[in-house]
Amino acid sequence: MLRIELLYYPECPSHERALELIREALVQEGKRAEVEVVRIDTQAQAEAHQFIGSPTIRINGRELQPQPHLPYRLTCRAFQLEDGRLAPLPSLRMLREAIRSAEGG
Amino acid sequence: MEIGQSAYDFSLPGVDGKTYSLKDFADKPVLVLFFWCNHCPYVKAYEDRVIKLAKELGDRAAFVAINSNDPNQYPEDSFENMKKRAEEKGYPFPYLFDETQVVAHAYKASRTPEFFVFDEERDLKYHGRFDDNWEHPDQVRHEYVREAILSLLENDIPHVSHVPPIGCTIKWRHGT
Repeated sequence: MLRIELLYYPECPSHERALELIREALVQEGKRAEVEVVRIDTQAQAEAHQFIGSPTIRINGRELQPQPHLPYRLTCRAFQLEDGRLAPLPSLRMLREAIRSAEGG
Repeated sequence: MEIGQSAYDFSLPGVDGKTYSLKDFADKPVLVLFFWCNHCPYVKAYEDRVIKLAKELGDRAAFVAINSNDPNQYPEDSFENMKKRAEEKGYPFPYLFDETQVVAHAYKASRTPEFFVFDEERDLKYHGRFDDNWEHPDQVRHEYVREAILSLLENDIPHVSHVPPIGCTIKWRHGT
């Protein structure tokens, strides 16, 4: 079974929608996963969890759109969408592809 | 800041090298003041929409962006990076740096982006988010800021005066 981690900073409003998108992607891919939701409240927690912003999504330990140049911190993060736009959440398609890739890997 | 309250004056440096205060926008019947920054993905999601509206209505409404984030914690939001971003995107509005965060506190702003629309007397008539769909620009049904501006230009009261802003929290300096 897949293991998905959703790490979020509560002052960033995107995490509930992120969880919806993860569930939607799993349904559309016909997959089941153990989804762990981790709340990050402090800078120390951000560093301990290597959290660059909310939401951070890891599928079988692999981060969706890693951005290693960014520091660990309490804020919202951006994802680059397929059309080049920057957005506070990944697209459903990105999540579906990441789930497929993790299953195949 | 409550609806009906008057705009607080300020004196802030812009990325164009000028210093701005409210009197610099006195020739426009509407003032749209918004808290902004470089790093927040919600700002990025709205950036093109705000630029488009400023170009469309900028002859009648003054658009003014203010960055109050602490650049020590978020280096992308430094004054130098503000200059770069404004140039890259061709901002058609002043982009001001509120280094002391006094202006953000005065307006009781909490997020980026967060919009304040004032009438000709500079009384607050709309406060909150830009529109009702940050995620899908093609599915927007209510353009709150545009609707507020157009109402004020017709000497009308905006139908919607407040919708809670959505975005990143303003990054306060430690101890403030």
